Amino acid sequence: MAGPLAPTRTPEETVEEHGDLDRPWVTIVWNDPVNLMTYVTYVLQELFGYDEPTATTLMLQVHEEGKAIVSSGPRERMEHDTSRLHAYGLWASYQRDA
Amino acid sequence: MRPFRRKGDELLARLDPAEARILALLLDQLEQLLTADAEDVAGDPVLDRLLPAGHRSDPELAADYRDLTEASLRTGKADDLATVRAGLPLDGGTVRLDPEEAGAWLRTSNDLRLALGTRLDIQEDTEPPEDLASEEGQQLAVYYWLTGLQGSLVDALAAGRAGRR
Repeated sequence: MAGPLAPTRTPEETVEEHGDLDRPWVTIVWNDPVNLMTYVTYVLQELFGYDEPTATTLMLQVHEEGKAIVSSGPRERMEHDTSRLHAYGLWASYQRDA
Repeated sequence: MRPFRRKGDELLARLDPAEARILALLLDQLEQLLTADAEDVAGDPVLDRLLPAGHRSDPELAADYRDLTEASLRTGKADDLATVRAGLPLDGGTVRLDPEEAGAWLRTSNDLRLALGTRLDIQEDTEPPEDLASEEGQQLAVYYWLTGLQGSLVDALAAGRAGRR
């Protein structure tokens, strides 16, 4: 099984520039012209345990709106989720929730 | 090609000799790219797509992410590639995968599509080629062949998951 990597680093004790420590981070999947819609749906189910209708809704949001938030939580978790998506070739990134 | 179908816990497909040779060649090219010296492939758009930035606007976070994940991602891709190579009948024939091997084929065939799609500048409205005599036409044909192969694997795996409920 490729991919899953457990970040071993401890969270940095720095105050974010915006100071809003409660605001979670999010993992975003971006639209790309190569990944099959069926593949994106399958991977979202596989990695996040979404049921098929939920994964399909997220996939369609990626396809039609250009991106979708697929998970949210602490930064380290979002780094991990992004890397799991990258292992499957999905175009993903993480950022602070806007 | 006979596309992937599920049989019990296994996923089966059949490749013609020419298809198996093309797939082996694409695996070699992917491996070369992934194992090349960093300075030789710096800025290569295919590599940028296979190992993208984790953060889009903050270079420090993006570098941080790369330090944390790139080695593992590369190892995963190398392991997947070796699995696909081991299961590929070089003279054509049946491909027979257990669920774990199927995962490797899924990810590697996607990486091959991403690589070809990036080189060929595939867009959502790109059509299958009409001119198979040109180099680009042939590469496009390979891309669409890979799409069919991977699509059948996704469908077979998704149907298996639905059947388990």
